[in-house]
Amino acid sequence: MKKNNILEVKNGVFEITLTINGEKLVLSTKNGESLLDALRRWGLKGVKKGCDTGDCGSCTVIVNGTPVLGCLVPAVAAHDGDIITIEGLGTVQKPHPIQKAFVEAGAVQCGFCIPGMILSSKHLLDRMPNPSEAEIRKALDGNLCRCTGYVKQIEAVKMAAKRLR
Amino acid sequence: MPKLIVKPSSLKELWKITPALPYKRKYLSGGTDLVNISNAGADDSDCWLDVSALTELWGIKETKSSIFIGAAVKISEIENSVTARRWLPALIAAIPHFASPSLRNMATLGGNAANASPCADGVCALISERASVWLELKGKKRKIPLTGLFLGPKKTALKKDELITGFEIPKWKHTAAYQKLGPRSYFGISKAAVAISADIKAGVAAKVSIALASVGPVIVYAAKTSAFLSGKSLVADVISEAAELVKTEVSPITDTRSEADYRREMCGVLVSRALQGLT
Repeated sequence: MKKNNILEVKNGVFEITLTINGEKLVLSTKNGESLLDALRRWGLKGVKKGCDTGDCGSCTVIVNGTPVLGCLVPAVAAHDGDIITIEGLGTVQKPHPIQKAFVEAGAVQCGFCIPGMILSSKHLLDRMPNPSEAEIRKALDGNLCRCTGYVKQIEAVKMAAKRLR
Repeated sequence: MPKLIVKPSSLKELWKITPALPYKRKYLSGGTDLVNISNAGADDSDCWLDVSALTELWGIKETKSSIFIGAAVKISEIENSVTARRWLPALIAAIPHFASPSLRNMATLGGNAANASPCADGVCALISERASVWLELKGKKRKIPLTGLFLGPKKTALKKDELITGFEIPKWKHTAAYQKLGPRSYFGISKAAVAISADIKAGVAAKVSIALASVGPVIVYAAKTSAFLSGKSLVADVISEAAELVKTEVSPITDTRSEADYRREMCGVLVSRALQGLT
């Protein structure tokens, strides 16, 4: 049965097409599955599950150019979407300049909030290469960190901005 | 989440497919409220109709006398709109207080209104902007004042399957302020909030409209205080009197977020701060 170009393979299992970190994929998702749960099931464990209620920002992913919260997106609603997760930014061997800056600034403690923070930072720096501190704070509003005092992370974004300009 | 999520691509298609869908159905817009409600086990829908692909609900349009904001326009799109910045100062002032940036990339004004929360920042600002709401059911359109949409907490005057298609805000020259009192400066549900739109010429308020959030079963339009201020010079005595008067127009309750007496008192403080900010 075909519903709006989404193929229902069997009762409650759907096949959806997504571009994840530049790769076009056909993946299956179940009824009621959030994009967060689906991405993690597909192996993208950099997308973190914190509150699951849209409050903490740790499941932030970039969908069609804007950061959204994976926990509040039904996976089927992301059909045809272009998704960037932290895995699409860099690797341990070749980190993205924002990732490098977060490490060098000492912005990472437990690390759970960091994928979301880095993706929010990337969206900011893509639009605004030279943000003020207030603009950085505004962009990271909604990415909660329980380890630090939101000081080193702001410094990291400033450092990354300077290097990326 | 329900077993079925369908995503029509036009209103025509929506009205065509609706009769064949399971009876317990709801509209899904940004999902920031509905998905949460569903995850908490408080939504028993068998079907969601995803309205995000309905192009009729997109865009911010300007006519000679009004601004139209489509119900599916994301809050962040309004935040960046030159038209909204020029004509809708109360809404623009409220947006930084509206959830977080990533939630603003998902949430819509249509969803904010349909959710009918008494603390909805977007609705509070729109009511102070004197907005009307456009509704459609099976191709039949109607326009009502936005204040008429809300019957109580989470209760609207929407008929079965009736869809919010957008908001019409008259163009009127005004400045505005949004004051929100919450557990933190941003990203929290308010204990009380106030939106004031006012046309001020040489210190005299020609036309004023005040709306308050989280201090009644629905967003409160403070008709008496708005009328009292209209035509007056916004001097200290007048502001104090307005701050007292507004307390008689609200009916806050005590709940997990705050206490009734404190909320009532804060309405006066917030109105006073907002008015001082306008002069």
